[in-house]
Amino acid sequence: MYKFPKDLYADVRIEEKSSSNIYIKNGEVENNMAISSVGAIVRVYDGEMWYSSVTNDIASIQDEIDNLAKLAKPNPGIVNDPMVKNLQVNQISLLVYDGDNDLRKVSRDRKMQLLEGLIADCVDKTIPEINTWEAYYNDNHKVKHFYSSKGAAITQDRQACTAGMLFKITVDGVTTTGGKHYQKMDFDGLLNHSEEIISERDRALDFARNAVDVTPGDYICVLAPVVTAMFTHESFGHKSEADFMLNDKTLRDEWVMGKKVGNEKVSICDSGDMPNHGYTPFDDEGNSACETWLIKNGVLTGRLHDAHSAAVLGEKTTGNSRAQDYQYMPMVRMTNTYMQGGSDNVDKMISEIKDGIYVYGVNYGTGNSTFTMQPNICYRIRDGRLAEPVRVNVVTGSVFRTLFDIDAVGDDFQLFDTYYCGKNDQTVPVSAGGPTIRVKSLTVN
Amino acid sequence: MREKYTYNCIKSEIKIEENKIQSFQKTASATQSFRIYQNGFLGVHYQVGKISDDRGFALAEEKLSLKRQYKYPLESGVRHRDKRERILTDKELMELAQECVSHLSEKYPRFVLSGSIFQRQTDEHWTNENGLDYQNIDCSVDAGIIFKHVDSKDISDGWFGFGNRNFSPEKLYEMAENYLGSFEKQIDLPEEIIVQKQYYDFYGKLTESLNAEEIALGTSLLSGKVGQKVFADSFTLLHDVSDEECWHNNFWDGEGCVTQGDKRVFIENGVVLMGYSDKRTAEKYGVPHTANAGSNYCDIPYIGWINGRIKRSDKTIKELLDGRLSVVPVAYSGGGFNDKGDYVMPVHLAYLSDGEKFLGKLPPFTLSGNMFDMFGKDFIGVGSDNPIFNDKQILVKMKGSKT
Repeated sequence: MYKFPKDLYADVRIEEKSSSNIYIKNGEVENNMAISSVGAIVRVYDGEMWYSSVTNDIASIQDEIDNLAKLAKPNPGIVNDPMVKNLQVNQISLLVYDGDNDLRKVSRDRKMQLLEGLIADCVDKTIPEINTWEAYYNDNHKVKHFYSSKGAAITQDRQACTAGMLFKITVDGVTTTGGKHYQKMDFDGLLNHSEEIISERDRALDFARNAVDVTPGDYICVLAPVVTAMFTHESFGHKSEADFMLNDKTLRDEWVMGKKVGNEKVSICDSGDMPNHGYTPFDDEGNSACETWLIKNGVLTGRLHDAHSAAVLGEKTTGNSRAQDYQYMPMVRMTNTYMQGGSDNVDKMISEIKDGIYVYGVNYGTGNSTFTMQPNICYRIRDGRLAEPVRVNVVTGSVFRTLFDIDAVGDDFQLFDTYYCGKNDQTVPVSAGGPTIRVKSLTVN
Repeated sequence: MREKYTYNCIKSEIKIEENKIQSFQKTASATQSFRIYQNGFLGVHYQVGKISDDRGFALAEEKLSLKRQYKYPLESGVRHRDKRERILTDKELMELAQECVSHLSEKYPRFVLSGSIFQRQTDEHWTNENGLDYQNIDCSVDAGIIFKHVDSKDISDGWFGFGNRNFSPEKLYEMAENYLGSFEKQIDLPEEIIVQKQYYDFYGKLTESLNAEEIALGTSLLSGKVGQKVFADSFTLLHDVSDEECWHNNFWDGEGCVTQGDKRVFIENGVVLMGYSDKRTAEKYGVPHTANAGSNYCDIPYIGWINGRIKRSDKTIKELLDGRLSVVPVAYSGGGFNDKGDYVMPVHLAYLSDGEKFLGKLPPFTLSGNMFDMFGKDFIGVGSDNPIFNDKQILVKMKGSKT
């Protein structure tokens, strides 16, 4: 298809994207738009450096290849470069969202009807504290084509859609936001969620009316599945991305395979093959996805790689080289990452706590040696039962200690498709999952 | 009536990975927005990449079927602003990056450095059939360096960087000396915490609260407080697109409106004067129109574009400190403001400073405060100078507790 330069590695990634967005606030349609775009990134590698170019003019791709080749230094040994050797030659067309489930075929009327249905079911004008409500829908569909000088030729697609409602609830001059949204891979998955949205609306209402400020301190914490999912992604998932440790002896010594890094109840996995929000059957270097167990029974067993990091560390590629879109070079990213469910009963887990905090929901989290999470709704646990709602600004803990401090892993595993992950100015869709877990001590502020 | 917006950006970026230049990337992007106003409705077509005007407006006309209501008259006015000072060739940019990487990795061998150095050239242009012809052209070079000490078990320890229209590597080296040269010297957390930092992270809750619609609906922390003195005498907040330390910002809002002197004051000497609004909000709630419409150029405009600036003091940072020392948070995450305006932030890395030079690294701690106090009784000021960050910065008293 393209004429690739001699003695250099080169690849081309073309992306066709369609997206739409509807946003209704207090009955007014404030946003109703649809966008389509096509763009491409061309990369050339000479064994020392990458040279890349981004364009919206697909007809210019051959020129871009030729121009980049002039910047690079020809390398007759490029085929034996360890990174280049790690790049697979897959040839496949894997279009799973081009049938009746194709979001591009869903009419605007149908999207609007979905929101009108949610509004009719979930807006209750008799609740005086709710002074703003918002209903929203968005979707995106992407087809990616990948061609390399080694002979790879891959066409694949992905899509996702979201719908939900938010309510602003003002009590004594303080406004709390509550509600729920759903992210699914096809439109039908968004149907029939009104009851859950109403339940979350009422939970937020109860929180706004009754929440008290938490007394800062260290507490036994129980994390709901959605919080465990965030914890798993932020606290450990990012440390499993191998690109941060390539030539760093300290980190390589710290994260040596076979090392005990957590309680034996803890197992964490990443898999790009799952049909969820992090679905990446072939990554942006053309390598195929695989199931990678990062921790198995508390022991470090794997990490996530692109072709470069796998070459440097002498390990196998895992298909985790991802870019936000055609405007970016790929790097090592998570896909669908989760903590495996356990066998502990959640009610029993809570009943054994005299004084603690139940973290029900979370806005966002970050991870370094100290991980942080900003919860939205928490409850005090008193004498083995959930008690009053509490306002908590941030929960923190040491990653190294917390993985050992997990002493109960629930049997209520859930996978959440609502996440986007940021790293080095790039955002990619991911899924995160986990069960309810209990942690012996976390710092609550 | 027809309107057209175009945005062209050329970005050349050199990525640094573990003290070596890893890649060079050139991105040329062009987007266009075609708008047709007809009988109180707006049809918009947003195009990534090139398209002819005839085709763009034809597609915009088709979008009129979406019945997107927009009843306000089009603006007019002519102004072209070219803020460019210096444009580097790709070769010059590469040489600059090589010089910076060599200097930093030779001088600080106990650090692993990553990040990027990039040049961005932008050209925004908006025209309509009512005589509007606005253009903003700019060019800047930015450097962002992520550092990690060789003995650290973290993925990274911190970050420093800045942008400039006339980039000086010497300023980057001065920053590096502060951030890297002081890293290995451990100092205790002082009893009095005066935070010194660029204030963008601090005023997000405040600018969110200044949204005129949220104020009117009662969902803002400033609801019921317009006309009242809420903050410190010395605290003045304005929308300011004349800012010389702000790159690539245009001077018109999403509805083509401009403000006198490119400024609009919202809080003056502690008194909340008004919230910010677009035309729809101003009409709907009977509040002043302040020309703060945002636009994604894909649909009708919306309320929410504000380039908030806190008015500078006449005094330098050192003069404001008056012999006291400051705390400069560098790596912090996970916290922020809650619904009540309380602020809590775990700080993983911070330095003690005399206002210009770092004196040593502080242990991790948790920073806390409240929006009304931070810009009220605890507000010290924004310095007249730009030490440490090459950018404006706030001094504010906060609480710190060791973690």
